[in-house]
Parts: sequence; C-alpha cells; structure tokens
Amino acid sequence: MTSWKEQLGERIPDRLGGEVDLFEGQIELKKEGKIDDKIFAETRLRRGVYGQRYDNGLRDDGTGQQPLRFPCGDLTKGPDTVWDAPGMMRIKIPFGKLSAEQLDTLAELAEEYSDSILHVTTRQDIQLHFVHIEDTPDMMRRLAAVGITTREACGNSVRNVTACEYAGVCSTQAFDVTPYANAITQFLLGHPDVQDFGRKFKIAFSGCEDNPCGLVTFHDLGAVAQVRDGKRGFRVVVGGGLGAVPVKAKVLAEFCPEEELLPLAQAVARVFARLGEKQSRARARIKFLVQKVGIDEFKELVAQERKTLRPDPRWTAFLDDLHVTDEQPVRDPGPIPSDAPASFQAWAKHNLRPQAQEGYYVAIVKMPLGDFTSTQSRTLSDLARQYTGDSIRCTVEQNLAFRWLSGADAIAFYQALDALNLAEAGAGTITDMTSCPGTDTCKLGISASRGLTGELRKRLEVIKNDLPPPVEALRIKASGCFNSCGQHHAADIGFTGVSRQVGGRKVPHFNLVLGGQWTQNAKSYGLVVGAVPSKNIPKAVELITAHYMENREGDESFQAFIARVGKKDFRKVLAPIQKPPSYEEDPSYYSDWGDPREYNIGDIGVGECAGEIVPFVEFGLQEAEQQLHDAQDALEAGQAATAAAGGFKAMVTAAKALVRHLDVQVKDDADDVVTNFKTHLHDTQLFHDPFAKGKFATYLLKMHADKSYENANDEIAHRTLDESQLFIEAAHSCYQRLTESAAAAAE
Amino acid sequence: MTMKPTKFQVKLYTSAGEIELEKLVPVFHRWIREKKIPDELLIDVADYAHVPQGPGVVLIGHQSDYYLDVADDRPGLLYSRKRGFDGDFQTGIEDAFRRALRACQLLESEADLGFSFATDEVLFRVQDRLAAPNDDATYDAYKGPLEKAAGSFFGGSASLERIGSSRDPFAVRIATGANGSVGDALARR
Repeated sequence: MTSWKEQLGERIPDRLGGEVDLFEGQIELKKEGKIDDKIFAETRLRRGVYGQRYDNGLRDDGTGQQPLRFPCGDLTKGPDTVWDAPGMMRIKIPFGKLSAEQLDTLAELAEEYSDSILHVTTRQDIQLHFVHIEDTPDMMRRLAAVGITTREACGNSVRNVTACEYAGVCSTQAFDVTPYANAITQFLLGHPDVQDFGRKFKIAFSGCEDNPCGLVTFHDLGAVAQVRDGKRGFRVVVGGGLGAVPVKAKVLAEFCPEEELLPLAQAVARVFARLGEKQSRARARIKFLVQKVGIDEFKELVAQERKTLRPDPRWTAFLDDLHVTDEQPVRDPGPIPSDAPASFQAWAKHNLRPQAQEGYYVAIVKMPLGDFTSTQSRTLSDLARQYTGDSIRCTVEQNLAFRWLSGADAIAFYQALDALNLAEAGAGTITDMTSCPGTDTCKLGISASRGLTGELRKRLEVIKNDLPPPVEALRIKASGCFNSCGQHHAADIGFTGVSRQVGGRKVPHFNLVLGGQWTQNAKSYGLVVGAVPSKNIPKAVELITAHYMENREGDESFQAFIARVGKKDFRKVLAPIQKPPSYEEDPSYYSDWGDPREYNIGDIGVGECAGEIVPFVEFGLQEAEQQLHDAQDALEAGQAATAAAGGFKAMVTAAKALVRHLDVQVKDDADDVVTNFKTHLHDTQLFHDPFAKGKFATYLLKMHADKSYENANDEIAHRTLDESQLFIEAAHSCYQRLTESAAAAAE
Repeated sequence: MTMKPTKFQVKLYTSAGEIELEKLVPVFHRWIREKKIPDELLIDVADYAHVPQGPGVVLIGHQSDYYLDVADDRPGLLYSRKRGFDGDFQTGIEDAFRRALRACQLLESEADLGFSFATDEVLFRVQDRLAAPNDDATYDAYKGPLEKAAGSFFGGSASLERIGSSRDPFAVRIATGANGSVGDALARR
C-alpha cells in the first residue's frame, strides 16, 4: 500500500473521508497560491489544525528575535503563519470518551507525527504538538478510521462538547447525560446553523447541580440534568465564559424537556449567528450578546427563533435509543480485597471512587501536566481491554478516568499502573494541578504556566505526606495569559500570566486569583489579589497555605476563610514578595520557570530620556493598581457602587499615566484623560494588544460613555473590576512596547 | 512495503553520568542560539522531564528532533528524522547513525552534563507503520542495510534483533560488538 487512504479503504466513513480529501485539496491549492490566507487559516482551524508559538517565523533566543529560516520560504498557512512551522493538532474527543482502539491510534499518531506525547486538555480533547500541516490529512484519515473527527475542534464553531467523567456511573446524577451530549455533538457537527459564528461556542453537560464535574457555569451553553414529575429534562444556562472577563451563565430555561434540548440549542445557535458580534473578536462570544440584550430579551429572541424552526426528526430520534452510549463491563463486580497494601490504599483514597453500580469503581489515572507517552498509552489500552472495556474518559482536570473497574481487580489495576509509573496518588488534590500550555507552545502565552506548575509539583511531591488535609484538598490551576484556558478562575489558588517592567527589563509574573469555587459546577470565581514574580510563586503558595492554616476557624473552608478575612489580608501576606530584586542582585527573576532565556527580549536599553520618564509612568501604574485593590476591598465589604467607581477611577489613572508618558498635557479630569487617551493611544493603536487589538481600550471608552459604574450592582461591579484589571495589565504591556520602541529608536 | 529513507530513529545509550534532565534545557536552548548543528534548522526545546520514562527533553528541529530520552529507564540520545532527507535508502540509514553520533559527541563535550555514551548497542526504529510495519518482511528488508551501516561505524559484525509487537513501530536492537567512543565511530567514517 502506498498511502493511508488506500490502506484504510472502507474503514474511513465516506463523509469523513470526503471531508479529509477536500481539506487535502485545499492544502494543495494553498501551496499553489489559490486560496487567501485568512480563508485557509479558518479552514484549517475548523479541522483542528492550530498554530503554535514561533509560527510567525521569529523566535527570541534570549538575546533578541531571530528568524527561523524554514525551507518553505514565503509560503504561509495563514496571516503571519509560516507553512513549515510546527503546529498543534487538536483532536476532539466528545465528552472525553475513548475506546482502547482509539487510544492505540492516538499513540501511533503521537509517535509518528508528533513527539510521542499525548496531552489531555481542559476540554477533554487530546492535543499533539509540533505537527507539520502536510501530515494532517493522513492523521485525520487514521482518526476517522476509528470514529474520531477533528472537524470543528478549533475555529469559530461548536467546540468539543464536554460532560462529567462520571456520567452514567455517578450516584448523585439525575440521569446519564452521555447520550444527550452525544446527540447534541452529532446534531451540531457541521450543522449549517453553526457555521456563521463570530467566535467559538462551548457546550457542557452536568448530571447534577452539586458536583463540579460539568462546570456548566462557565460555558456558552450548559445543561444540568433534572427530573420533574418523572420526566427527564435540563436546566439550561447560557452566556457563561472564562477568558479575559469571566461571566457566570444565566438561566435560559429552568426546565427544558429532553425532546426540546436539540431545538433549543439550534435556536440559540441561530440567534448567536444572527445577532452576535462579528467585527470585534474581543466581544464576539455569546456572553457579550446576552449582556448586551439582557437575559430576558435573549430568552424572548430564542423563543421566537424556536417557533421558526422547521421540525427535524433528529431532534427526538436519539431518544429511541438512549442506551447507545452505554458501556459494558468486561469483569464481574466485586469488593476490594480487605488485605490491600498500604500503597494501594494511599492511591485509592483520592484516585478510586465507587460507582452507583455496586462492586464497580472509577479509577482516575493522574497524568503529570496532562501528559502521557505513546508507550504508556498502548499499555493503558491493554489495561482497558483487560479490566474495564471501552470506557476511558479524558477529564477536564487533564487526567484519564477508567470506569467499570471491578473492586476485585482494583489492586491488580493499581499495580499495573505502578509498573507504568502512572500510579501517582492525590487526584483532585493540591498536587494534581491543571495548566494550559502557556509559553511552552501557545502563541498567546505570557508566562510559563507549565513551567510553574511543573516546579510546584516537584516541590509539593516532597512534602505531600506532611500537608494538613485542608491544604491537601486545595486546587491549583494556572493559565499563561488572561484567556484562562487553565480555568484558574475556578481554582482555590489560581494563576494567570502577566509581565512587568522593572528597571528597563521584563519580569515574568503571575496574578494570584484566590477563592474560586470548583464545586457546584464552578459556582463562583476568584478575584485577583495581585501580581507576584514567577520565581516567588512557590513562596506565595507557602505563605497563602500557612496563613490559611494559622488563621482558619474550626473546619472553615478556603473559600469561607477568604470571604471572612478578605483579600486585603492576603495582600499584606504577599506584599514582601511582590517586588523582584534588581537584575544585578538576582538575574534568575528575569527568566521564567523551565526556560533559561532572558524573559522576552533582553536587549532593551535604558536611555537617559527613558530613565527620567520611567519612574513617573511606573508610579502612575502603581497608583492605579492600588486604587483597584481598594475597589476590590469595597466589593468585599458589599459596597458595589463604590467598588465599580473605584475600578473606573483606576483605569483613568492608568490611562493618564500613559498619556503623560507621551508628553501630552492632561488634566486630572476623567473626561480630559479619556479624550486624550482616545486620541493619542487608542486611535493611534499604540494601546492595541497584538492579539486582542483594541479590546482593552474599549473597556475604558465604553465605561466612560455609558457610566455603567454609577449605581452598580454586584454583577456590574465584578465586571467593572475584571475589566479594570485587564485594562491595567494592558497599560503595563503598552508601556513595555513604548519603552522598547524608544530603545530601538535610540539605537 | 516502501523503502523510504525517512522517519528513522537512532538511539545510543548513556554509559556514565547522573542524568539530570533539567540541565539539558539550557544546553539545548544554547545549541539553538549558537546553531550547534549547522545543517539543521533548530526551533525549540520541549521539556517533558515530568513524564516518567518519557521523551525527556527534546530539541525540536524542522528536519529532525533530538531527545535526551529516558524511555524504559534507559537514558540515551534519540535522533529522530521527521522529513526532508534527499538520498537513497542506505545513505539515509547511515546519515541517521551519523547525526545521532554527532549529537552524542556534542553532549559529551558539554562538561557540566558529564555525559558519555556507549557504542556497544544501538536502537533503530522506523516511525512509519505504513512504509515499515513491525513484521518479518520489514526486518528482512532492513537487516542488510542496518548491518552494513553498523559495520561502517562500529567495525566488526553486528548482531540484530527485531523487538516489539505489530502494534509497536518497527524496531531493531543492534549489538554492535564495539567498545570504542562515539568519536571513534565518527572517525571511522
């Protein structure tokens, strides 16, 4: 056989095969210059073929940006995206469900086209990195042959539908949401009504209200299983999201009967496609549409849209066989032997959970930073065949869950994992951290989230047996930037990457976000406490946990503790470690975890002129941060209006500092500051973020125009403070860019 | 079966030195900066030190990757050609051996690492199940070229053993019979 297409033949379903052939044809047309860059970029994204860091053909080697001279020359696969540059393949695994055969195929792809690592994402996908675009059609064919498509894994489409990894085996669920998640996946995949979104659309299912697994609160569309009067249905929420401004989803329907779920989703999709923002990416998620029109008006729009839909038999056809996603155990149930060794018991404490079906368990295999090897993958698929059947699930905490493990086999299963070096205990505890790819591979990464969590893992592994249970139970999650792929808003201790300018050099930092709630479907989000240099984050974790243990009252939870003592208290705790030493004192602060290069470009000179101006603008930005902190205190004290006004004031202060940095005369008056900010920083695009463009400037301009901070309620105050935080971060970034430009001009 | 000179992997095992993977990260970053492998485009460093028995630390290139691989708890330098070889089959195998040995020599020259590599055993793999499934036919096709390549670098006659199952990539363990250095092997060519 000379090709995978020929080799796999009829094993590739016609529809999927045709789609891959089409994509392969588009690759050829692009190479011939017959497809526009932007169109091709969206085309490949909708096939799961994603960009990666340095794919613009430039890489900072610690001394400055260097060109990467790929053999492809000028050929590109999107705007500023070099053809030959390695990319990432995102492989959609609906609700995380994998068979042993699929796991084997993923292992083959990882070692033949990637670097032999399979990475579990926070959306239950599998990602492979350092992939060449010309290998992707064959990868897609091999996936299609085992029933996997990468279609709409990225791009402005319906992303992977997620669901609890315990669905169907959970004792607290209303019912198994798996067949419904499967039905909506199949129904919306390639549906004409989901092809014209301004941004991506994420759906999640949860089997119950109280447990966290589904995390519906931060999804564009979420469905929570409910039974009313013996009838199945869902509480449906809409317009949630993390990202730069985290928003909790609002209730669209208190009870949507099961037969109405798909048409309701279709109606929502049509409203989003018709009325959602298309020009400004930054405001194109459905959460902004819901905010803009209000949830009541949105409900009405959806109801009207629902009436216009032509009946589709697929809306209810799946209800005829809700057992289509059922799993068959391969072993008889049984109890766990009573003479289990201590090492097994330590593992089972957090990694083994009884199923609703007596004698069966779900085993969580903890994957360090979500990574496992192709070799481990093959052995895991063997274990599935032997002990659990095709019932593996990727989890949103970047682990693998093996369901239908008989208690009688639990020790043997554990021992097999141990032989694979995958029997790490502590699933769902402080040592089980979640991290997005960050600067390792992501184009948008600001700080090394994986480097940080890798370092924390190493340190916590040493002391894990001595951790008090309340600390052991905490969750840590890290995102490399404000886009929040690490889901840090819902962690007890969350980190989001930012950078700071110190003495003319950049220093990697993380903003600390404390007190987010993972339980009850991520019921509440944490708020930013302040930025700490990356290299001081391990110390920060130490200080935070010690402060908690020393001052908690009784059995007080971390969230309750934070609510009682306030974030102001934590800022005092962190104050001694928030300022990095000078470069001359300790240059290690000027590189990130796991990356010895000097952080960002290290060749920025500090001119005499900049030397005079720098302290002034830095003072202004610092003042803005202080005002924001005061506003956060006001919010904690229940003073929403004061908090919102303070958040706006902090933005004005930061804007004023930048305007003055440009030598523009400005009064201490919000109107004058905003007018000058618009003229000199927004209209000139100096404030524009390279990726978010004018998004952060819009926060200030819009707030100034609509005065939304006046008489704000809790929700508006939260949003104001979130936007203020992001605006100040953007001001720091803008200042860095201005400094670099000045230095370059001086040279 | 198609005899293509691509997707070859060659691994040589370390013979001495404590493996501290984190030390590799700055070394590989420096190799990129200093273009230590001048005929290859080096792009990035991937750190998988947290993965037990994994790929370790990887120097990512366009044509090839270089791993300080710790699979099977046997650390070694794994050269992995991904694309872009322009030559015949035998030359392709020998080029993979040469690049692996050259990378070993470079690592040995990094005094802070304290590495040295053994030459008595080489692992050869083909990461291409379509062109080279792990079966007897592939082994028959590769045996001669591999013996010739091993002989040309290590002298004497090599002993070959196909390893793994049909699910694994095609792999051959080569007992070279040599006890010299990687420098000796490179000098022989």
